[in-house]
Amino acid sequence: MPRRFDQNRPFATLGIIVAAWLILPVGFKALVRASFFELTAPVAQAASYVRDLQEYWSLRLHTESELIEAGRDLARVNASYALSVQQVADLQTEISRLESALRLPPRPHYREEAARVVQRDFSGWWQRLVIRKGSSSGITVGCPVVFTGGVVGRVSEVHTFSSVVEMISSPDVRLAAVIEGDTRPVAYQGGDNPTFGPAKGSIEFVPLDIFAHADSPRSLVTSGLGGQFPPGLKIGDVVRVAPSADGLFKTGEVRLDLRLAELDEVTVLVPEAQP
Amino acid sequence: MTTRRLLVLLATQVLLWALVSGLNHELVRLRLFLFEGGLFVAYGALFLPFGTGLAAAFIAGLVCDAHSAVPFGTHALLFAAAQAVLFRLRDRMPHDTPAGLLAVVLLANAALFLALSVLEVHGGPFAMRRWGRLVSDLVGSQLALALIAPWFLALQAKALVLARAESTRQS
Repeated sequence: MPRRFDQNRPFATLGIIVAAWLILPVGFKALVRASFFELTAPVAQAASYVRDLQEYWSLRLHTESELIEAGRDLARVNASYALSVQQVADLQTEISRLESALRLPPRPHYREEAARVVQRDFSGWWQRLVIRKGSSSGITVGCPVVFTGGVVGRVSEVHTFSSVVEMISSPDVRLAAVIEGDTRPVAYQGGDNPTFGPAKGSIEFVPLDIFAHADSPRSLVTSGLGGQFPPGLKIGDVVRVAPSADGLFKTGEVRLDLRLAELDEVTVLVPEAQP
Repeated sequence: MTTRRLLVLLATQVLLWALVSGLNHELVRLRLFLFEGGLFVAYGALFLPFGTGLAAAFIAGLVCDAHSAVPFGTHALLFAAAQAVLFRLRDRMPHDTPAGLLAVVLLANAALFLALSVLEVHGGPFAMRRWGRLVSDLVGSQLALALIAPWFLALQAKALVLARAESTRQS
């Protein structure tokens, strides 16, 4: 019996498939991509719920005295936070008063949406997180994602009940930043993620009068330029600066927070209209 | 029969994807990443008719693409190309012995990893250092593959037998 065309000519079959794939409309590919993601998303989400359950049962092993001690510590922290919240409210009232007096445009307002991390995917090619909230929670592409240590990244894909976050350690992330205490913007880019070591980023266009060393690092924070990230969020510590090849600026190395590799929960800043 | 065979193969591949994703989730603390793409193509290319193996490899590639930061279709086309090469060469490969089969899977995995790396790493301030990281990821992936491959290939064969969709080898 004569063999079928695909078995007789595997490379010709492959060529036909490649050609067919290349001429498919982008919209169709985007639809198929979203379909495949949504189809397999429950698998990753189920694994994350199992991890949460494991954590719950491991917490149940704590003794009552340990829980009482933890509750007491938490009450102290809450008391100090309550004071901070009051101060922040006073400052916001003052900012609003000054904005209206000076007729300044209103600052962007964000709603905080806490989300559990479903999947961490950190390779030499890309650095991403999948979180357990999506368009059903009002998250949109480009939303900044933060944690207690500063910037985590930005939302790059949004699905119904999950979103993908591109980490600041990812090679494709570039954003405008400033050295804390300075107003001149520098360009930050992620990309160095060595095995067994902390993630690092790089900065360019650093003014010549900025100095930093591993023993006396300088904080790098978001500049607010570009409108995506609010200003003042910590990116990392600048641990080295050196003159660039053209001598007009300096380039530097940024050490990112070690906790970025251990995140279980993050906060998405969803832009909102000023109330 | 072909559809059932394809579905069984896809079910095992989704299981592999879920397991490797879970493993990578935990390995993030060590900044290590495992890539086991060779396993998505090996069984179909070496033991099944071309069409079934190609469809399984392509769809498994689309699943990987949906969860990666690459243009959609990159994994799928790379897996399809690897499947076609392995299918073409399978009669000349020593895949009848466990050691030979493992060697083929390791070679396919390394080739896929390097192809994806070439497509993904283009310039940037840390291009050389990124290659250093990729080499250690490749070494880790190959070691993990050597452990996983015999179990996974046996699982695929057993799943096909249980579903009464075992292959009658066609070259």
